[in-house]
Amino acid sequence: MTVSMEMLGCGRKIADKLNTDLAAVLLGHDVEHLAGELVAYGADKVYLADNKLLTFYHSEAYAAIISDLARKKRPEIFLLGSTSTGRDLAPRLAAKLCTGLTADCVGLDVNEKGQLLQVVPAFGGNVMATVVCPKHRPQMATVRPGVMIPPTIVEGRRGEVLKIPVDLKQEDLNIKILDIVTEEPRAAPIDTADVVIAGGWGVGSIDNWRLVEELARSIGAAVGATRPPVDEKWASEDQLIGQSGKTVRPRLYIGIAISGAMQHLVGIQDSRVIVAINKDPNAPIFKAADFGIVADFRDVVPTLVEQITKLRSTKDSFATGT
Amino acid sequence: MSPVKSIVCVKPVPDPRHWSELALDPVTKTLRREGIPSVLNPLDKHALEEALRIKERFGGIVTAISMAPLTATDSLREAIAIGADDAVLLSDRSFAGADTLATSYALAAAIKKLGEFDLILCGNQSLDGGTGQVGPEIAEFLGVPHVTYARKIQILERGIVRVERALEYGYMVIEGRMPLVLSVVKEINVPRYVSLMRISEAMQAEVRVWTSRDLDIDSSRIGLSGSPTQVADLFLPVMERRGEMLSGAPDTASKLLVQRLRELGVL
Amino acid sequence: MDFALTPEQEMLRKSVREFAEAEIKPKVQNMDETGKVPMDILEKMAKLGFMGVMVPREYGGLGMGHIARTIMLEEIGRVSAAMANTLQITHLGISPIVTDGTEEQKKKWLPLLARGEKLSTFAVTESTGGSDVMGIQTTAKLQGDEYVISGRKCFITNSHLAGVLGIVAKTGEGTKGLTAFVVQSDFPGFRPGREENKFGLRGCNTGELVLENCKVPKENVIGKEGDGLRIALSAISNVGRPGITCAALGIVRSCLEEAVRYSKQRVLYGKPISELQGVQWNLTDIYMDYEASRLLTYYSAWLRDKGERCDAENAMAKFWAAEAAVRCAKKTIDVFGAYGCMRELAPQRLLRDAELLIAGAGTSDIMRLVMARKALTLA
Repeated sequence: MTVSMEMLGCGRKIADKLNTDLAAVLLGHDVEHLAGELVAYGADKVYLADNKLLTFYHSEAYAAIISDLARKKRPEIFLLGSTSTGRDLAPRLAAKLCTGLTADCVGLDVNEKGQLLQVVPAFGGNVMATVVCPKHRPQMATVRPGVMIPPTIVEGRRGEVLKIPVDLKQEDLNIKILDIVTEEPRAAPIDTADVVIAGGWGVGSIDNWRLVEELARSIGAAVGATRPPVDEKWASEDQLIGQSGKTVRPRLYIGIAISGAMQHLVGIQDSRVIVAINKDPNAPIFKAADFGIVADFRDVVPTLVEQITKLRSTKDSFATGT
Repeated sequence: MSPVKSIVCVKPVPDPRHWSELALDPVTKTLRREGIPSVLNPLDKHALEEALRIKERFGGIVTAISMAPLTATDSLREAIAIGADDAVLLSDRSFAGADTLATSYALAAAIKKLGEFDLILCGNQSLDGGTGQVGPEIAEFLGVPHVTYARKIQILERGIVRVERALEYGYMVIEGRMPLVLSVVKEINVPRYVSLMRISEAMQAEVRVWTSRDLDIDSSRIGLSGSPTQVADLFLPVMERRGEMLSGAPDTASKLLVQRLRELGVL
Repeated sequence: MDFALTPEQEMLRKSVREFAEAEIKPKVQNMDETGKVPMDILEKMAKLGFMGVMVPREYGGLGMGHIARTIMLEEIGRVSAAMANTLQITHLGISPIVTDGTEEQKKKWLPLLARGEKLSTFAVTESTGGSDVMGIQTTAKLQGDEYVISGRKCFITNSHLAGVLGIVAKTGEGTKGLTAFVVQSDFPGFRPGREENKFGLRGCNTGELVLENCKVPKENVIGKEGDGLRIALSAISNVGRPGITCAALGIVRSCLEEAVRYSKQRVLYGKPISELQGVQWNLTDIYMDYEASRLLTYYSAWLRDKGERCDAENAMAKFWAAEAAVRCAKKTIDVFGAYGCMRELAPQRLLRDAELLIAGAGTSDIMRLVMARKALTLA
């Protein structure tokens, strides 16, 4: 639900600027109780389609129902979350509605013409673009989770819940969902991992090392190390990152209790985002990092693990704002 | 089991090792890609690999298709050297400047011209644009179902395909009937290398080049004029390390860190 | 004069480089430390067609020429000279069958060698002569339908890996007294002997071959009895020596990349050392050595592809590239400073590998002898 709330927050601001209504679309099974929450977060209307076939995201069914709705209601703007669901559904809808779609927005606003300004990353974030959809409607965009600020709840806020009849049968659909399986996040070898957590001499003991591993597990990250942990056998040789070890290029690197000697830094300098946690404020790694926390990792890492675990456990049920 | 006719959509993208050389033209607000070598989009290699594995098991034919400038014949030859049977390049000034909708429309038209197919395989997203939109949009224009985030594909009896679709917290098992469009993720397989034995063949193969006149299309729906979305501005975000120190009590600092990381899309 | 690679050659270069970086590079440190040959890489290369690069297509090879082989070996040598040498010696073992084999011999041996089902080598050197081929003492006596071969070969690359290989032995006296044979490793009386413990090119197998009354069918004579010297010198000059040259060229390339990369990263006195002129002199010396080595190497390959006899050019390229490899590796160590002496980093290995290439396929002094023959005709 989190990205949906974020979109409602952002959608509300835009709807207010355009002096128009904000509607949410809610599909699922036995989800009527969520409609009230959507209103509290800013929706003026909630279009609700409730059917057993909609329990889990089903591309054909969802696309048929929503495109139909969009054709009838003709929204100006249509937002979806940039999740596995949103990134699957939005393009199908855009093609059905013959309109423009911008993926993975990190910023949304309206200009003086009332056009939606969509800020998106390209080239893995090395380039940023502002995109507009001048003529076609609705202007569609998927929104990256965790970027927009969720709105504050307004208890007792009023809104309409409009039920959409669904007369779909499995026989009409080509796609059949057989099963949904939950999995523990898996770690990859460090040189190809998207996220790397590395520990240094400052971790102090093999008991403390398990904090490094726990953080990695919570993200599904690979675990790396500098030379001293390898010598102490808290980590193995193939986890060594640096001049004489591996070079890693993850999108996120977090160095825990690592001072940041040159031999290690050369192994991580191509990481997209570098985070350092070290209790020494003068540690060289802070100069090479995007974000730094000066603290004892034993205090910070458990809270990080908690927050990340909370994030992972939310299974987004589908909702959009218009 | 009958042979499977697959079409693999491939896209040449600027080689990431040279991205620092991309120049932004401040007047036209476009990226100058000249002189930067291209590589086959990595996820498309996984798509091609999957098509080849399916062909090895069931027989059939694998055709690579791309909509790109003429230089893309090199990338298509690479696809043939890896194992594709033949290749088609859609190349024409009028295709230029296309967003995903106009691209998908053109590719769908070309696929229709190729005749009947069982599977269309794509990489789930490209390295440069990264929208992941072309697969599902092509499926819509062709009137067939699509499945994204495919991490495992099994071809069953009677033209049924069983797919494991990756989710944020696990996966979904889906079945669909061919023809359909599948967008694959990297966990699906380990792509094979160019076989040196196929290099000569690939260099001599005929890569069919089709222009907009070769396709049955409405020319107002392709290229820049057929693109509902337009780039209003392009800018390079500041690349240096931010050096932002997050202070406060441990859980405050953590919260702030998580938020920053999510804003940047790395968490 | 067109110095550019054709699109086909460019695709070959790109493909081999991709393979070398993804498959060979991760194993290089382990190869150097343990001296073990990574058989899995050889199998992968075999499947992709690397072994049969110069075997004609009709026998299952790639049917490519010397320039293509140069590209392949340079790209592999850039990552691992040891692996490049292992591969190029297999090419060497295969070549006499291609140049001098009968149709039956070609049909029998080339397809499986091209597929890499069996590796190969060409064993000439003995303790009594390597540079001095005529000094070899292994004998081959014709008895009925078989030759009985006895002797010991040393410093043979792929000694313990080759399944189908060439052996040169004495069948008489004088320059027509040597004969080349195809020998299978499973022939009774044939066995690998000691394995050498080299200080460089580790992960490439070098050792002895012991023949004790090894019986070889007379159908296995390559060419005719007495052709051995010609076949050996030709194969070494046109295949073995250039193979070493390409491995050396790969080392020089690697030196250039390592030295430049390190100097841009290493910050001293507040700036990268690449900004210091003294360091730049080292880098440009390596750069010049790379370009000069490359031009000599590819030029001699071009001559061979044209079918021209070019022993002097082959020797010149080998001399230059191998000596350059040693020079440039030393310079790379200098750029790295103390780090250059550490076993975990590349420069010290590049130096050790390069030194072995001076001795392989004819020392630099022997190369001068070969070149002298041509130099003396130039005025």
